[in-house]
Amino acid sequence: MTGVKVNDILGSLGLGILAILVAVAIFAPQIAPYDPHDTYKWMERPSSEHLLGTNDIGNDILSEVIYGTRVSLFIAFTVSITAITIGTSLGLIAGYSGGVLGFLIMRIGDIFLTLPRLVLIIVIAAFMPQSIWNLIIVFIIFGWAMTARIVRSEVLTLRSRYYVDSAKMLGGSDLYILWRHILPNVIPLVVVQFIMEAAHVIIAEAGLAFLGLGDPVARSWGTTFYYAFEYPAIITSDVWMWWMLPPGLCIVATVLGFTFVGYALEERLNPKLKTVVGMEI
Amino acid sequence: MNTINKLAYYLVILFIILSINFFLPRAMPGDPLAYLTGENPDMPTRMTEEEREMRLAEYGLDKPLLEQYLNYMVGLSRGDLGWSIYYNNHVLEEILVRLKWTLLLTGTSTVIYMLLGIFLGAESAWARGKTKDIGCLTSILTISSFPSFFLGTLFVIFFAFKLGLFPLGGAKTIGVSYANPLEETLDILHHLVLPVATLIIAHIGGTYLLMRNSMLSVLGADYILSARAKGLSERYIRNRHAIKNALLPVVTMAALMVGFMIMGTIFVEKVFTYPGIGLLLYESVLRRDYPLIQGIFLFIAISVVTANFIADMVCIWLDPRVRDE
Repeated sequence: MTGVKVNDILGSLGLGILAILVAVAIFAPQIAPYDPHDTYKWMERPSSEHLLGTNDIGNDILSEVIYGTRVSLFIAFTVSITAITIGTSLGLIAGYSGGVLGFLIMRIGDIFLTLPRLVLIIVIAAFMPQSIWNLIIVFIIFGWAMTARIVRSEVLTLRSRYYVDSAKMLGGSDLYILWRHILPNVIPLVVVQFIMEAAHVIIAEAGLAFLGLGDPVARSWGTTFYYAFEYPAIITSDVWMWWMLPPGLCIVATVLGFTFVGYALEERLNPKLKTVVGMEI
Repeated sequence: MNTINKLAYYLVILFIILSINFFLPRAMPGDPLAYLTGENPDMPTRMTEEEREMRLAEYGLDKPLLEQYLNYMVGLSRGDLGWSIYYNNHVLEEILVRLKWTLLLTGTSTVIYMLLGIFLGAESAWARGKTKDIGCLTSILTISSFPSFFLGTLFVIFFAFKLGLFPLGGAKTIGVSYANPLEETLDILHHLVLPVATLIIAHIGGTYLLMRNSMLSVLGADYILSARAKGLSERYIRNRHAIKNALLPVVTMAALMVGFMIMGTIFVEKVFTYPGIGLLLYESVLRRDYPLIQGIFLFIAISVVTANFIADMVCIWLDPRVRDE
């Protein structure tokens, strides 16, 4: 087995997992047997009617987990798309224009990177009303800085290339050069950052939910896991197998999907650049 | 010069953290007084107007914002982190009572997972592309995808409840008087096994990947080639030339890892009801004990920033290129 082949296998595996999960999220109303807010008999064991049984307030657990895919992936994608877009734009500005503005952007970014993100998010979430929008905003505020830093340093090397100089001499505007010559070269790095951020948000959101700070109405996998964990007889009976294991395994599968794709991409782009996701939790 | 710059930078960070902590209850929706007295800030207050003014004066909330801010800073410099509503005690005292358990948990796991990560990373890189390397890499990437609270819960179910090998939680057996210190130590260690194992598995990925990458780039260096050309044994090259040089980035990361660890324990402490500051933070969130939440935030934030600062200093000290930058 060669290194390249293994990366391809891992990458395709990761893409496959993510594709299935995205499909489940999109077609949740078609796939889920019930509405996750409908109530039936409490604490039913798995049966042909309720494949994963029902929870302590009588919701069908399978439907809850299927709809949870929507909530978890929606948070992850919304946060990472927005945070990465902001980070890329600021990184481009900081790298290309330099000067006081560039300096300011990078210093503010450094501060966001040094602040203990997770604890700060927990504390802010504790002060705010519980809703997924508040979570999304807080995650975005703390999510852009790493991308800005990586994009900026890449722009700094690209800026001094000959083709940028010639484009300038031929009268290309700054915006044109950024769009036509710099951005395409930055995109692969940005994609890797996007994947890392998405995996991080999945695991961090689940962690916050596990501390009881999730949205009780729009239940993500983490929130379902939290309610299962808080159920008094969760480990002394078999209930954990159909109430706790499914949302837990969904979180693992998603992170694994992102990790594999991210790893395969990074190995291709730059064998020296590597991080592991979810290190805080 | 570099050292002074760094110091100034970290002082700015510290100032920002202190300010965030001050403005949080005042900027958030709801009545700041409710955050200090433990009433639900979303609910209408039951206090009469006079009572309210008295309480505002008691907490200094009737003064101008700038004066409140100065008082807060002066209080902090005396170690006054506020007054816990639930415990009716100084926040700092409550934190210090719980701190030893968190230190025991994070200290033990950090030492073990760093050593294990270094060892596995070096082995993996040395066997690059072989089954051993790929097996190691894939399994570590896989177990790193488990959130620590999920892994910990599975451990509790299997090893504590089903097999009965370890206690379900806590740091000590409750209500037992020990015959001798040895018995007490063994009991504490017995309680420590599962949470430490969870933290090791959840955190080993970072060290492992870092060591593996560092070792891979070292193995491509010219001095490894010349060591081979000199006819040195493979074992000698690996231990004396490769691992020694590959360790540098891992060592500089060590302090940073401790910072990560302190945050990571929050979840594991909740799973194992381990009485450290992470569990205290969780309980305070449940009880809406905002002064205690803020105190713990401040405490953890300062520890993490200090860890960052130490990591930077170690880096400067070990690597002259950074020093002269």
